Amino acid sequence: MKSRTSLPAVFLAPPLAILAVLAFVPTAYAIYISFRDRELSRPDGSFVGLQNYLDLFSDRRFINAVGVSLTWEVLTVTLTLLVAIALGILLFEFASSRMRGVMTLLFLVPVILPRVSAAFVWKFAFHPLYGIVTYPYKAITGQPLDLLSSPATALMTVALVDVWQWGLFFAVIVLKLLETLPPQPFEAARLDHARPWEVYAYVALPMLKAPLISLAFIKMIESLRAFDLIYVMTRGGPGIATETLDMYAFSQGFIESGRISYASGMAVLMMLATTVIFTVIWKRVKP
Amino acid sequence: MTSVKTLVSSIAYACLLSSAVSSIALAAECSGTIRVLAQPREGLTLLENYKDEFATLSGGASFEIDYLNENDRRAKTKADASTIGKYNVYYIDEANVALFASAGWVSPLMDYYPEEYDYADFDPGRQKVATYDGKVWFAPLTGGGDLLVYRKDLLEAAGVKPPTTLDEMKEVVKKLHQPDKGIYGIALRGQRGSGANVWRWMPYFKGFGGEWFDGDTPKFNSEAAVKATETYLELFKYSAPGTQTGGWDESVGAFTSGQVAMLVESTPLVGMAIDPKSSQVAGKVGYLPPPTPLTGGGYGHGLAIGTKANADDASKACAGLFIAWATSKENEQRRLEANQFSELNRTSIMTSETFAKLYGPDLGQALADTGKVTAVNFWQSPLWPDLGDRWGIILEELIAGSRTDIKDGLNELEGFAKDLVARNQ
Repeated sequence: MKSRTSLPAVFLAPPLAILAVLAFVPTAYAIYISFRDRELSRPDGSFVGLQNYLDLFSDRRFINAVGVSLTWEVLTVTLTLLVAIALGILLFEFASSRMRGVMTLLFLVPVILPRVSAAFVWKFAFHPLYGIVTYPYKAITGQPLDLLSSPATALMTVALVDVWQWGLFFAVIVLKLLETLPPQPFEAARLDHARPWEVYAYVALPMLKAPLISLAFIKMIESLRAFDLIYVMTRGGPGIATETLDMYAFSQGFIESGRISYASGMAVLMMLATTVIFTVIWKRVKP
Repeated sequence: MTSVKTLVSSIAYACLLSSAVSSIALAAECSGTIRVLAQPREGLTLLENYKDEFATLSGGASFEIDYLNENDRRAKTKADASTIGKYNVYYIDEANVALFASAGWVSPLMDYYPEEYDYADFDPGRQKVATYDGKVWFAPLTGGGDLLVYRKDLLEAAGVKPPTTLDEMKEVVKKLHQPDKGIYGIALRGQRGSGANVWRWMPYFKGFGGEWFDGDTPKFNSEAAVKATETYLELFKYSAPGTQTGGWDESVGAFTSGQVAMLVESTPLVGMAIDPKSSQVAGKVGYLPPPTPLTGGGYGHGLAIGTKANADDASKACAGLFIAWATSKENEQRRLEANQFSELNRTSIMTSETFAKLYGPDLGQALADTGKVTAVNFWQSPLWPDLGDRWGIILEELIAGSRTDIKDGLNELEGFAKDLVARNQ
């Protein structure tokens, strides 16, 4: 149906124009300088074609960062959804209305905390000498537990903090989604002697497929921006064990080298890969 | 929120007697806000109590200091200085002074530093690290070398003497390492970074005769580097938990909380270790120069004039006046009276009666002795942060065990160094 007034366009045009400038100008500039050899300390720089992109594929830190980023995505998205669904169902099944209210409030607290603050709190909590999380292990075994210093456990440990923030928040959303479902299908399933887990596995969750997929996409996009959490907790270490693509790009651009063209090349590749992968997944799983 | 003003100022030269600074100062006509990007220092916090004094001295200017921790401060100053140049004064250090100076991000300090503030009074070692290419670029806020800081009570209980050589230190560290009693032999830095793990590794490297470059040719891939790394990794077996990926904070925190027998660290540690407010081991601490053949890691941090934000000479002069005032004898005397040991840089203050009364003759002697072995351990080049940070990553991998071949790591660094030099020629 055709709009009878141009008012929506009048109101939409300015913010859309601002958004377009904010989004496209930096993107276009990043693409432009990725074909140059610009460094922070040298404002000149010349056109180098695809050299930055070719160099990336022989850079072991870049290859490692791709692997770490993929692992991070899979870990955080999967664990967040599993925790959210499990807690959401538990609250829906066992908690009274009053208890649900209290738990909802508590579950929202982690995600309200600024990421940097949360990262500092957890970094201290995981400290092998003073940390509250590692204290029971130290008390029982007499040995300190240094989870953030081991390449085998560091990424998983940081991922747990991410899941703590987002899994609890998503659990509240899952609970609210379950509360919106009509009771009849549940009653019908129970009349057919479905066990509790079967009610959720075969009735409730399929009914929530669309919003759960949306939640998964939101988390996938959010997980791409893990920089603050990783930067505070491990700075990409030990070694390069938790160095994600955004972390490595920032290191190359601002911490170590000032190679902003090289860092932009990484950012452009990351943007392309994200766009392609997300489009493919979206097309395949679209409810 | 205070609105951010660009420093618009002019300076009119006339002689006035300034009672506040006890010397004849040039009266300045500065206005607006001098914006400073720094890392947290007690001395700077103290300075903020005297904004009125600076306003009077400068003819009306104020100042605002934004604080970021060391690594973030380095990244942010680099990003700001190379792009928008919002800050009039940058906190820079020995590791990046060459980069900032050669890129033109900071201006030569002495062109705008009022003579009567007596730059020559700063500790000679700190003046040395503030100088690059024959010019002085910053006025020191902190600096020094290394000291071996140890727990006198633990050594006495074990019946051992404080070590004066590296071999002795290794023996004592092993002897005092008792994790079941919550005491670890040593605390090192494992966190990657030219100013973190590499900083603590370099005294071994230089002590064993290592050199970074000969002209543009890398020389560091040597027996000295292998031996230094082996020694560092060996000592890490006795380092407190948390230091494997930790920096200064973790090492010093472990020591001041009473869990470490000894460590070789930058001199400000002493100020923290002997202060009961920040240390559980105050009164039990001894200090000596680093054990032979370790060199002390000479360093200095200070304030420099940002080039971009100070577009004209008048603005640079105001920034220079602020730096001179902030690091003046009068302000350093205030820091001494506030017991801010690590913020002292002037010879006149460190040889004063008040200093001797506060810290005793032992510390004065230890500082004098360590000055003799303090050296510039890093490669004095604009490319140093890049090279140092890359070695920091490889070294952290070796410490964490995700790589084990030291020679392979050095070969990788040599390849990186050759590319780095070639890229910048």
